[in-house]
Amino acid sequence: MANEKDRSLDRRDSQEQVVRKTPCISRRQFLKAGVAGFAFLAGSSGVRDMLELVAFAEGEQLALAKGVVLVDKKLCSGCRTCEAVCSTYNSSGRSSSALARVILEKDYLKGDYEANTCFQCVEPLCLQACPVEAIKIDKKSGTNARIVDEEECIGAKDCIGACGSVFTPPRPRFDVERGVAIKCHLCFGDPQCVKFCPYGALEFKWSDDGVRTGYPIIKEG
Amino acid sequence: MNGWAGKILRVNLTERKFENIPTSDYVPTYIGGRGVASRIYWEEVPPDAGAFDPDNRLIFATGPLQGTMAPTSGRFMVVGKAAQTAPVEAYCRSGCGGHWAPELKWAGFDAVVVYGQASKPVYIWIQDGKTEIRDASKLWGLDPFTTQEMLWKVHGKEARVMTIGKAGETKSRLGIIITDSGDASGQGGYGGVMGSKNLKAIVVRGTGSVRVARPKELMEVARHIRSLFSRPSKPGSPLEPNEPGFTYNIWGGQGRGQLTGAPGELWNLCSDPNSGYERLPDACYACPIGCRTRVRGPDITSGVAQCTQSNMYLESIMKDPEKGYSKLTWEAGRMADYYGINAYDIHGINPWLTACYEEGVLSNKDTGLPLDKIGEREFISELLRKIAYREGFGDLLAEGCQRAATKLGGKPEKLMWVLYPRAGKFGGYREHWLYYGGFPDGYAISPLALMWVLDNRDAMVSHNFMSQLWGAATSLGYPPNFAEAEELIPVIKPTMKYAYGSEKAAEFFTPDGKGLKWDWAPRVAKRFFERTILKDSYIVCDVAFPFLYNPNSGDHVGDSSLESKLFTAVTGVEMSEGESYEAGDMLCTLERAIQAREGRTSDDDVLRDICFTNKDAAGRQYHRDDLERAKAEYYKLSGWDQTGTPTLNRLKELKLSDVAEALQRKGIITPDQST
Repeated sequence: MANEKDRSLDRRDSQEQVVRKTPCISRRQFLKAGVAGFAFLAGSSGVRDMLELVAFAEGEQLALAKGVVLVDKKLCSGCRTCEAVCSTYNSSGRSSSALARVILEKDYLKGDYEANTCFQCVEPLCLQACPVEAIKIDKKSGTNARIVDEEECIGAKDCIGACGSVFTPPRPRFDVERGVAIKCHLCFGDPQCVKFCPYGALEFKWSDDGVRTGYPIIKEG
Repeated sequence: MNGWAGKILRVNLTERKFENIPTSDYVPTYIGGRGVASRIYWEEVPPDAGAFDPDNRLIFATGPLQGTMAPTSGRFMVVGKAAQTAPVEAYCRSGCGGHWAPELKWAGFDAVVVYGQASKPVYIWIQDGKTEIRDASKLWGLDPFTTQEMLWKVHGKEARVMTIGKAGETKSRLGIIITDSGDASGQGGYGGVMGSKNLKAIVVRGTGSVRVARPKELMEVARHIRSLFSRPSKPGSPLEPNEPGFTYNIWGGQGRGQLTGAPGELWNLCSDPNSGYERLPDACYACPIGCRTRVRGPDITSGVAQCTQSNMYLESIMKDPEKGYSKLTWEAGRMADYYGINAYDIHGINPWLTACYEEGVLSNKDTGLPLDKIGEREFISELLRKIAYREGFGDLLAEGCQRAATKLGGKPEKLMWVLYPRAGKFGGYREHWLYYGGFPDGYAISPLALMWVLDNRDAMVSHNFMSQLWGAATSLGYPPNFAEAEELIPVIKPTMKYAYGSEKAAEFFTPDGKGLKWDWAPRVAKRFFERTILKDSYIVCDVAFPFLYNPNSGDHVGDSSLESKLFTAVTGVEMSEGESYEAGDMLCTLERAIQAREGRTSDDDVLRDICFTNKDAAGRQYHRDDLERAKAEYYKLSGWDQTGTPTLNRLKELKLSDVAEALQRKGIITPDQST
C-alpha cells in the first residue's frame, strides 16, 4: 500500500504542450494545444460523448497515472458485464451495480449507453479532498492509479463530493456495508472490465510516461 | 445466503399488506426461478381459481444467478394461472430478459408473489428492502413507455419497471408485461392477469448486492462461456466479430443482432452509414452475445425488440416483396409493444384472418377490419388498436386466436386448428416449430411432436433441441430453416450422442426415408424437459442454453455442464451435471402434479387431427399410434402412470409426499395406481 512519501510532488520539466483528443479509439486526432484548445474542450457539448486523453504539463503535482480505461461508446451494448465483473472481483464476490467502479449510465428507451470510467486525473480532486489522506498513488503495482487505502478511509465521502463537482456521475462510490469509499484502481494493472467486456468496448490505455486525463483538462459538471 | 437476497416478497393487494418469507424455505431444493415458483403455485393457487380471480398468484421469480455476472442472467420467470391457455386457464410460465431481475435482487428480494385485487389502479414500489403500494390512477391508460418515463421522474432513471399497456388493463388474454424498450413476459396473458389485479407496474431499485460463493470460479466459468459463445465486435462494425469466421451461439449459430430483422428496405438503410438509420447490438444484463439489436432512424419508432416482435408482421413482406423487411415490418412490432399486446399470438391471428378472408368466411363487414389490406399499415394499426381497446371484433380477438376462433366455430375454427396444434384442454399456444423447417409443411421430427404434446406452453420456446438442427443447417451454409432434414443427420450425430447418449438419437427417419423413427424420442424429450426446467430455474437464456451445438468446432459438440457449474460457483452448493438432472426430473414431476390437479391427463397430451393427416415436405407424417407409444414410454421414464399422472411412489421418492397426499385426497391418484 502506498505511504505518505508517495504523495510527494513529482515535478516534471516537460515543456510539451500537446492535447491528444480521442473522439473514439479508432479515430485518433492530435491537436496543438493552447488556452483556446482547452476552452474548446471544456466548452464542447460533445465532450461527454468522447473520452479525452490530454497531455498536460503545467501545474501537475502528482505522478501521472500510467493507465486509464477508455470507452468506445459505439460498441457498447449496455450489458453491464463491466459493472458485474468489477464488483465481483473487487468486492469479494458481492455482485452489484452499486459497488462497480465503472458506472454504466443508460437511457434504455433511446438506447444511449455510456460507460463512465475513472479518469485517474492529473490533479485528482478526490485525493485532494480526503481529510485523512486515504487516497494515494498506487506505486506498488506501478500503475500510479489513484486508490483508496481502505484501512485509512473514515467514510467521509468528501472524495465523492469533490469528484462530483466536476464529473457526473462521481467516480468514487460508497460501500455502505463496509463504510468505506471505493474507486477504480485499475485492478492493479489488469482491469477486469476491459478483460471481460464481451463487445470490446473498453480499452486499457497505457503509457510509461503517464496519461494526462481527467481534471483539470476535462470538466463535465 | 450465497446467490440469494434471502427474502421472497408476498403482496396482498386486497388488504394492501406485505409479508416476507425466507427464500431458504424453497432453496436449494427447488433450485430457483420456475422451480421455486412452481412450488409456490402448488401451495397457494386454488385449483378452481380463474386466471382473473383475485386468488390467482402472479409470481415473478429470479434464480440464484440473477444479480451476478453469470452470463445471460438478466432473466426472470413469471408463473401463475395463465389467461392464454385454452380452453382451460391453467398453470403456465413465461420468461423475460432485460435488466429488471438483477435490480430486484439488489433491492433485497428473490421473488415477488402478488395476489388479491386492488380497489383502484396501483403500482408496487420496491427499494432496498422497503415496499410500498402507490396510487397509479394517473398511469392507468398510458402506454408502457410513457408509464416508464413517468415513473422514472418519480423514482429515478435507475429504477427498472415491469408494466402493462392498454391490453393488460382491458384484461386481454394477449396482455404482456413489458420492461425498458421491448423486453417482455409475452406469452401466457399475464399482462391481463396483472390488469385484473389493478396493478399497473412493479418498480424496483436496489443498491444492495448478491453474494457469490466462489468469485474466482465464477469469473473463470464466465470467461469460458464467453470464449465459446462470443467475440468482441469489430471496431466500427459492431455486429461483426473481430475474428473472421467466428459464429455466435445464437440458436446454434446465427450472427450478433440477427434475430431482429431480415434483408430489405430497413436493413439496407441501416447499412448505409449516411442514412441516419442504425442497428447496434443491445444486450440483456451480463449477456456476452447480444442476439437482438437496437434500431434507430429519423422516421421510425426506435427501440429494442426480440425476434417475436421484429418478425411479427411478415405479411407486410409478402404484400410488398420488393421492399422486403421494411420500416413497416419493424414498426408493427413496436406498435404491439405500445399497446402491450403479445406479438406471438399476432403470429397466429394474422395468418388465421388471412385464411378466413381468402376462404370467404370472414369479411371486412363481419369484422370491421380492413382484411383486404392485410400486410399494409392500415390493417395492423386497426387490428392492434381494436384488440387493445376491445373494440368491436377486437373484443373477440382480445381473447386470443384460439378462443376467438372456437367461439366463431365452423370453418373459422377449423382454420385455426393447424395454427394451434395442441388439442385437449391445455392448448392456446400458436405453433412454434412442431415441424423443423417451418410451418406448415417443414419436416416431421418425432421428438418435436412429443415435446409439443407434453409441454404446458409452446415447447420450442426452449430452443436447445432445435439449436442442433438450426446449427447444423447454418454449418452447412443454409439459412437456419432451409436445409433438408436428411442432410442434417450426419452433422448432428456427434452432438446428439453427447446430448442424449447415442448417435441413434439422431436417426429420425426409417432407412427407406419414408417413415419416422420414434424409439429415441422419449429419452430425448425427457432430457429436453429436464434441461429446460433447470435453465428456467437457474435462470439462464433460452437462446443460448443448454449449449448443445458449437458452430465453431469440428464435431460441433457443445457443453451441457455450463449451467450447473455456474450454479455451484454462485451458490457454493455442489451439484454435478448428473445430479442437476435429478433435480430437473423432480421439478418436471412437480409441474405435472400441478397440471394433474388442474385436470390434465394423457387425453390432453394430444395434437389436432390435422397434424396426423398432413404430410411433411418429404411426404412423411406423424402417426397417432407412434405418438401414443412414445408418450407411454415417456410417462414410464418419468414414473407417471399411463394416464400421465405422477404415481404415489414416485412422488414419495422425489420427497414430494405432501403433493402425493394432496392428489390422493382429491382422488387423482390412488395407491393402486402407483404399484
